[in-house]
Amino acid sequence: MVLKLYGFTTSICTLRVAVVLKEKNVSFEFIPVDILKSAHKAPEFTAYQPFGQVPYIDDDGLILYESRAICRYIAAKYASQGTPLLPSDPTAIALFEQAASIEASNYDPFVSGLAWELKFTKLFGGKTDEARVKSLQGQLSAKLDAYDVILGKQKYLAGNDITLADLFHLPYGAVILDIGLDKFSSRPNVARWWKDISSRASWKTVKGGIHQGNAIHYRVLQSAL
Amino acid sequence: MVKLYGSPTSTCTRLVALICKEKNIPYELIQVNLAKGEQKAASFTAIQPFGQVPYIDDDGFILYESRAIARYLIKKYPNQGTPLIPSDPKAQALFEQAASIEVFNFTNSVQPIVFEKVFKPRFGLQPNEERVGEALKTLQEKLDVYEVILSKQKYLAGDFLTLADLTHLPYGTAFYTNGFAEVFDSRPNLARWWKDISNRPAWLAVKDGA
Repeated sequence: MVLKLYGFTTSICTLRVAVVLKEKNVSFEFIPVDILKSAHKAPEFTAYQPFGQVPYIDDDGLILYESRAICRYIAAKYASQGTPLLPSDPTAIALFEQAASIEASNYDPFVSGLAWELKFTKLFGGKTDEARVKSLQGQLSAKLDAYDVILGKQKYLAGNDITLADLFHLPYGAVILDIGLDKFSSRPNVARWWKDISSRASWKTVKGGIHQGNAIHYRVLQSAL
Repeated sequence: MVKLYGSPTSTCTRLVALICKEKNIPYELIQVNLAKGEQKAASFTAIQPFGQVPYIDDDGFILYESRAIARYLIKKYPNQGTPLIPSDPKAQALFEQAASIEVFNFTNSVQPIVFEKVFKPRFGLQPNEERVGEALKTLQEKLDVYEVILSKQKYLAGDFLTLADLTHLPYGTAFYTNGFAEVFDSRPNLARWWKDISNRPAWLAVKDGA
């Protein structure tokens, strides 16, 4: 049975899973969840994803949520097809985990905060907190300075091979650029790395959103709308 | 012996110390003077570019990010101490789900509260109560979900303890013991789980100092 991805067409976390599915050449059926109509808060949804967040997958009855956990599961299950995204050598694994943690703690909180304040809060009737934006921008700049040092010594965040940790950065990175906050170009090594990962075919295929053309099937979940 | 560069009271340093205790891994704590900003000195950032504690030196192998260090040590010593990461693919997937829940649905909300209410006052700074209120509201919603999950299984990844439970301890304890105990105690399944993990001998050994 083909893997089912329940998500929202342009959701950050849904795209994070989609880029990995593409990178690993894994067929999937996309079932759109209309978060603008709060379908993700409906009991039919929270029965599977109790936090009421997209995405989750149903892989032959295995329900999994948290996009990075889903990505790890796919990368491990399909290790022998598509691009290798998880190392197998113990030292390389440790450095991958370091890179994955860097993304979660030294990138995500700042980019997600900025994306919320400058883009998403308005969709839900909120206002931008300018003081918070200023603070987050300053913190993100300092973090990316460290990224520039790391990426001056190696091609990718975990070493000289691409891993999941690099791909995890794509969805929020694209949103940040989209709202006009280019923190990458002024840092030569970050710029090189960003150009590399954001030019990958897998990302180009999904970055505009998941739709009929880039998923195997496209089925509207009628009952959740 | 694993050299742990950090601070005895730092949350992330104590997570690594906890895992060492759970896995019976001897370690040497080498203190980094945070009050004097030693972690921002060039000699430190040459090793840990973000200027954060902890990092380890394991026989010349340098690693930072406490959760990465924890995973590394657990994988290196699979046959001693408490098993903390399952190897079965399905159980591992559920572990990764739980590990992600901890970061994004717990610590992301607890950390700002602890920063405002515990860390800032130590430096004579006033807490931003609005920020605390927002974070607490989000946290309460998340913990309602924890309550549901933990009504069906003993721990966050299933019926066995994993690293994903233990990573809640450093920030969770700072939160619980600084006036927010009721937030956990008012939810029976969460309270049961919290009491279980926070009374483990390994945590009791390091919670007041790595």
